Order: sequence, then C-alpha cells, then structure tokens
Amino acid sequence: MKAKAPYLGELEQQILLIVLRLGDDAYGYPIGEQLRTAAGRRIARGALYTALERLEAKGCLRSTMGAPLPERGGRARRYFTVTAAGMRALRDSRRVLLGLWDGLESKLEAS
Amino acid sequence: MTRRAAPPRRLERLLERALARAVYRDDILGDLHEAYADRCFARGIAAARIWYVGQAARLAFRYAARNLRGARTPYEAGFRGGTLMDRLLMDVRFAMRSLAKRPTLSAAVVVTLALAIGANAAVFGVVDALLLHPYDMHDVDRIVMPLTTSPQWIGHRETVSRADFLDWRRELQGGGIEHLAATLWWDANLVGRDEPERVLGFFVSPAFFDALDAHAAIGRTLRADEEVPANAKRIVLSDGLWRRRFGADPSIVGRPVRADGGQWIVVGVMPAGFDFPMGAELWAPLALDEKASRDRTAHDLTVYGRLAPGRTLAEAQAEMRAIAQRLTREHPDTNAQLGVAVYTVSRGMADVGVPQVLALWQAAGLIVLLIACANIANLLLARAAEREREIAIRLALGSSRGRIIRESLVESALLVGAAIGPALAVAAASLRLMHAFMPARIVRFIAGWNRLGLDWWTVGATIACAALAAAISGTLPAWQMARGIVGEALKSDGRTGAGPARQRLRRALVVAELALALPLLVAAMLSVSTVTRSLASWQGYDPTNVLTARAILPDARYPDADSRARFAAAALDAIAETPGARDAAAANVLPAIDSNATRAIELPGRPAVDPSKAPRVDYRVVSPRYFDVLRVPVLSGRAFAAADQKNGEPVAIVSESMARKFWPAGAIGERVRIAGGPWMRIVGICGDVVHDWFDSQRWAENANGRVPTLYRPIAQAPSDALVLAVRTSGDPLALVPGVRAAIARVDPTQPLFETMTLRQVLLDRTISLQYIASVMSVFAALALLLALLGLYAVMTVLVTQRVREIGVRIALGATSRDVTRLTLSQAGRLTAIGIAIGLLLAVALGRGMEAGLLGIVSSDIRVTAALAAALAAAAVAASYLPARRAASVDPIVALRTE
Repeated sequence: MKAKAPYLGELEQQILLIVLRLGDDAYGYPIGEQLRTAAGRRIARGALYTALERLEAKGCLRSTMGAPLPERGGRARRYFTVTAAGMRALRDSRRVLLGLWDGLESKLEAS
Repeated sequence: MTRRAAPPRRLERLLERALARAVYRDDILGDLHEAYADRCFARGIAAARIWYVGQAARLAFRYAARNLRGARTPYEAGFRGGTLMDRLLMDVRFAMRSLAKRPTLSAAVVVTLALAIGANAAVFGVVDALLLHPYDMHDVDRIVMPLTTSPQWIGHRETVSRADFLDWRRELQGGGIEHLAATLWWDANLVGRDEPERVLGFFVSPAFFDALDAHAAIGRTLRADEEVPANAKRIVLSDGLWRRRFGADPSIVGRPVRADGGQWIVVGVMPAGFDFPMGAELWAPLALDEKASRDRTAHDLTVYGRLAPGRTLAEAQAEMRAIAQRLTREHPDTNAQLGVAVYTVSRGMADVGVPQVLALWQAAGLIVLLIACANIANLLLARAAEREREIAIRLALGSSRGRIIRESLVESALLVGAAIGPALAVAAASLRLMHAFMPARIVRFIAGWNRLGLDWWTVGATIACAALAAAISGTLPAWQMARGIVGEALKSDGRTGAGPARQRLRRALVVAELALALPLLVAAMLSVSTVTRSLASWQGYDPTNVLTARAILPDARYPDADSRARFAAAALDAIAETPGARDAAAANVLPAIDSNATRAIELPGRPAVDPSKAPRVDYRVVSPRYFDVLRVPVLSGRAFAAADQKNGEPVAIVSESMARKFWPAGAIGERVRIAGGPWMRIVGICGDVVHDWFDSQRWAENANGRVPTLYRPIAQAPSDALVLAVRTSGDPLALVPGVRAAIARVDPTQPLFETMTLRQVLLDRTISLQYIASVMSVFAALALLLALLGLYAVMTVLVTQRVREIGVRIALGATSRDVTRLTLSQAGRLTAIGIAIGLLLAVALGRGMEAGLLGIVSSDIRVTAALAAALAAAAVAASYLPARRAASVDPIVALRTE
C-alpha cells in the first residue's frame, strides 16, 4: 500500500501549482508575484515563507540553491521543485475536487 | 554596467539580524532585494523605500516572537508555554478584542483620560517653560545670581548696592564665580529719524556678556575699559531694535545714536533672540563714579555671574556667605542684617509667587487625574462584575490568577496608551490658548513664556502621568477580579452581582471623588472671587474713559526740579487743547500701574528712634486736577490748587486711611514730613484708592486694599517719572495721536509709552489672577463633571444589580416613593461622607492658598459651606435618574428574568 498523500490547504495547493507552472524559475519572489497576479492573493512575505517551509516539511517541495547573484545583494536563489509526494497530493486533491464538481456545472451556470 | 538599485544597507542589516533564526533568511532578504529594484524602476525610490520599511516591519514582528522562543512555528510552541513576549502579545490581542466589544465604554474612558492627562501635561508645560527651562542660553545652569537677603524684605531678597557689588567682585577674584556683572534698569528715550521712543535698556558691567556667554552678531560687546565714565557712552543694540529703528543697517557700528539727551556710539548688535533680561533692547556700560561706588543703602543692581569651571553652586554659596559676613562686620550700620543667597538664573529670576501658583495648578491637575482614575477604575470594576462568571469558570478550569490580573492590567494599559495621543493634543491646544491670551507687553517680563509649548520634557511628563493613571485604574479592578471566589460566583445566579467587598470599594471610590472635587471647587471660587473683587468692585476711583501714558524725563534734558515741573505743566496745557480731552492730570504713579513709590514719614513730636522702623506710606506726586480726573473724592479740606507753587507753603493731602491711622482726632492742619524733608501742612483728606491688591500683605490691617497714601503737589515735588491721565468724552484710544502730538509740541525728543486705557492697565495688573482663576475654574469644572458622572455610574450599577431585590420589595408593597427614597438615601450617604472629608481638605487648601498667594486670597467659610451645599444638591440630582429607574422597576419582569 502506497503512503498516504499529505492533505493540502488551499494556499498550499496554489503554491504547488505555481511552482509547477514556473518550472525552472520557481523561487520565492516570482511565486509571491504569481500568487498575487494569477490567484489574486496578497499574502505577507512571512506567511509565504511559512507556507513554503511547511510544504517542505510535509515533503511536497524540495529546494536547491543556485549561485549567488548581485541583484540579490550577493545571495543565492532557492529554487523549488515539486516532489513525487507533492505531485501525489495535488493529484489527490484534484480528484476529490473534480468528483465534487461532477454534475454541478449546470447548476452553477443557471444561477 | 548599470548598478541596480539596492535597498538601504542599514535597514537590510537590521532586518538580517531580526531574521537571524529564520530558516529562509537569505531567501527573504534576496527576494526583497529583487523586489525593491523592480519597485524602484516602476514607482520611484521613495515609494520603494516606504514599501521596504513596511515589509521589514511586518517581517520583524512576525519573526520576533519566534526568535525569542527559539521554536520554529507557533504550532510547535503550544498555548500554555511560550515566552513572556508571546503571552503578552496574546493578552494584547485579547484585550483589544474585549475593548472593541464595548466601544462606548472604551471611548468614555479614553476621553476622560485624555482630558485629565492633557490638563496635567499642560500645567507641566507651564512649569517646564517658566520654572525649569525658562532661558534658552548656553550652559544656563551655570549662570548664577547672587542676591542680597534680608529678613525685612518681602520675599526676603533684594537687589544689590553698588558698594557691595564692587566688594563682591574684588573678593571673588579667582573664586567660585567669574564674570561677576551688575545690571541696572534703564528706560532709554531714543531719538532718531522717527518719533522718539522709549526703549527698555540695561546698564551692564562689561562682564555681563561673558557671564551669559553671549557674543555680538555684528561688531563687539562691551570692553572692560568702557566701565570708566569717560568711555561709557557706548551702546549695544538688540537685533530687533537694529531692524526696527535702524533698517538693519550693516554699517551701524561706529555710528552715533541719540538717547536720553546724550550721544552714544554703537559698538555692536546682538544676535536675534538675545533679549536678556526681560526683553531688553539696549545695553550700555554701567559706569560707577566715585560717589556711587561707596553707596551701600540704595539697592538697585541685579548681579549675574558664571560658576567658575569645576565649581559648584554650593561652593559659590559658601564663598559668598563668607564675603557677606565680612561686609557685615566692616559695615554694621548698613549691612547688619544683610546676607547673600546665590541662585541659578532660572530660580533667581522667577517671580515671587510663581512657584506657589504653579504648585497649586499642578496639585489641582493631579486631583483631576485622581478623580478620573477613580472613575475609570469604577467603570472597569463594573465591567469586571459583568464578567464575573466567565472569570470564575476560567479560574475553576485552571486558569491562573496571574493571567487574569495580567489581562486586566493590559486592558487598562491599552486604554491609557490610546489616550496619550489625544492628551498631547489637549495639552498643546491649552498651551496655545494660554499663550494667545497674554498681551505681548507682559510676556517679556515672564521669562520662558515664549517657550510655552510641547517639548520632550512635557511629552515625558505626559507619559509618566499616563503610566500613573494606568497603574491606579488598572490595579484595583485586577485585584478585585483575582480575588473572585470560584465557588461563590458559580453558585450565585450571576445577577445579584458583586459581593460586599467590591461594593465597598466602588462606594469608597465615589466618596473619594466627591471629597477631592470639593476643595477644587472652593479653590476655583476663591480665585474667581479674588479676580472679580480686584476688577469690578470698589477701587476708589473711576477707571472708565481714562487714557494713560507714561514718560520718563531723562536727567540730561531735565536735570532739576524746575525743568521737570515746567515740562509737566506745559504738557498738561498742551493736552488740554486736544479735541476730545475733557481734563488731564499728571502723577508719579497712577493707581494699578506696575510701579509704586513709598516714603518713610515723620510726625512732629514723634521722631523715629530707628529710621528703618519709621512708618512708610505710599507716596504720590500729583498735578492739581488729579483728584477730578480720576474722580477720587476729596472728603474734607481742599484739593491742590494752582497756587500751591514751589515757593508757597509746602502742603499735602492724605488718604482717609492714613488720616485715621495717624490723626484719629482730625488730620486737617496737622503737619507731616518725609524723613529729612520740609514740614508739610495737611490741607485735605481724600478717599482711599486701591493701588494694588497684592499690597494687602504689606498692610495687614488694611486687607481690603486701602493703603495709607500721602499726596504732594507736583509743583513742589516734581518727579522724573510721569504718568499722564486724560479723561475723555469718548473712546480714550482715539486720543492717542492727539496726545502724542501735544507732547511733541512741548518736547519733540520726549517719547510716550504704554499709552492705554486705565481699564486696560487694571486688567493687565490682574492678569496673573485671571490666569489663576481660569485654570482653576477649568480644573474644578472637570473635577465636578467627573465626580458627578462617577456617582451617576455607580448608582446606576447598584440599581441594576439590585433589580431583583427591588422587584421583591415592590411586590411586597413598597411604593415607588419608598424605592426612590431608598436609592437616594444610599446616594446621600455616600455624598455626605464625601463632602465631610472634602470640607476638611477644602479648609486646609484655603489656608494654603491664603499663605501661598501673598495674602490676596481670603478664604471664607461661608463660600466653602455654600459650595458644599451646591455639590450635595448636584450629587442628589445626579443620582435622581438611577433612583427613578429603580422606582419604575416592574416586579413581574424583575422576578421573571433568568
């Protein structure tokens, strides 16, 4: 029996999806920007990093450090990638949501 | 290569430290770095900086708690553990929520506190400006004033004689005080391109400027060799005078200036803002000739100096005392009773009486603050009673008492904190108001008045007041809450309300409020009645429609009695021709003016044994029409006539109180003389005049302001200081140009100053009293309002808590009158106790005011009693509404609740 995928909150889901979309360019700053532009969500930087921290602790994200960059004041970027567990968790929550959505489209359209 | 915009280095480093323990510290900082550059590009540097500061503050706050705790997330820390910081933050959030739930109560508390703390801060602002930091001079605490002291003088201190000053200066060579300098008041009559002007100047020793560490902006100050009479015609101008009269002429140094009939060479101009002492505009060398240098009887010098490096005030004081003792031994005839005291300039220049007035204000302010605190404690207690069950449950479930006390303290601290801003606004507004109502011509005599305003000292005092308020108003409810006995509160149904202990505390608070409010009311009433008495009541003369103007005749132009008498006569004739002038008179001193003249008198057959014990009376030199112009009645005998000339028989008129005091059998025809002068025959008795209410202390037997006064005709005793009084048919101020023109016809170089109505003179004279009365009235009104509100609130709470009991009473047959009487009698008991204690305090305070305010206030037990009765009536009225509510309780509704 495979390991149970961790539960994802809404913010966590959105972050994982954004990391996937950003691909090789997924580090903190663009993730925050995407959350704002694509998801319409303004969250405090501290909260973003708390969420990233939590996702890494749950095993959904993995990070690797890049080279130090002058535009970051000589600091490196931490690039995030979604782990297998993260993919599984996303897939699980998508399946659950799609199941719940099933057959409700017409109702939503009508109202 | 273009350099990318980077956030401020220092801020970044600070943030780095704040995030020291964050796992993603470098990521966060790097992101902010990148984002900052983007923002700079998109919105400009300023916006980016503001944004960065905001981000940094949020991050620092978020991670601060974690840093202290050392745990990674709040989840891991749990709720029970955590550091003090965490728990405090939690308490703050909790308190904010619970305050937001009761917006009216919270607003009432904040407004009360803002008024009470603001009033205290305003008074402290005055204390700060007038007493603590009145001068804006370099190293002001090292500038000292040695003053001659004598037990004989009012306030026990006096200016210094010339010979004493010179001895001091000689003996202090190399001693504890350096740059010892004397100053002498100089009413300078300045003549120049414009019309003549009287300017306040001082003759000063050249060391004066060194003592104050003041330097000229243009040219130089005075040189030591200019103290010799031959070189003394030098003058230093103030910046204001230089701009006003000399058009800010940059080449003024070396130019001659005409003043007091002589010519002076300008040697320098002081920088803007230097106007020490008393708004001076001119400084000239104080030249001491041979004769004056030996004079130990005339005390007219004010002496300043600077503490020598490394010396203390106490050392200088000891040194000066030794010198004074030596002088006493060497000159026993003049210096027998004289000592010396060394003050800092701030203390030495303060008016006698100012510290007492300010102490009174500060005490009144603190009383208001105490009443406000009692009120707030009461409101918070009432709230605690509502939460009694909640607290009992929490205690039963294991919540610690400490935590409950902490919550209560945090709550009151938040309320007080919220009040600090509005309190500062109240203080600033009050200070501006006080500043605005003081006429400029008086401001210059009140050192520091122009510095009135909020400064850091005042802000600090405000915060201290607030801390005090938080401590007082928070501790009582906290203590009561934590005492809550678990079982009892849970057993009770939560409606019978507080236990007896809490009721007692709440009643005690109301009693205290009433007891504190009464003395304030009495003090305010005393000050107000003093003002009305000194302004509106009998003065002995008619101050309406009288124009006054002053002139100082310089020695150089009017060296002798004849020339002065001629000027006075010619001036009065010229003024009489001015349209609108009905009558004119001249005198050395007019009633209510801020100067006085007194003389020691001698009666025939009663030679004074000791000249210093000879009776002194107020001394007036007046022109013949004086009594008509001021409408002072001549009670018997005659007024002065044009025939009372220099060569005629010396005559005098005495005031009623003087006649009664020295010649109870009748004064007309009796003789009197001023020590050493010719014998004068008394030809008339005139009514008494109140010169100055502050004088009553000098004449304990004449506490109503009637001071024995001796009048002489101006032709027989001319004076160099002249005050003109012109009775007009219309608005006195409309005559100012005419009177000026009339004087110019007599002597174009002679300036007039302080041209104003006699009524204005009287108002100015009592302005300090008006300030005392207004401030005390504001405090008393605040205290009264707060105390009545407190009583009302407590009675309402008591009634609400007893609704059930009252319901039972009504059900058992009590009428609504019985219930009203029950509630009112409860309120009456509290009021009676409060007023009884208040009466004791009020009598003590009245005594204090009598002693502290130089005897101008006389406390009256009838006033106190009347006010106590009024307060009692107001208190009953305030509790009438709750009583009515109690009486209208519907027993069925009251008993059915639950």
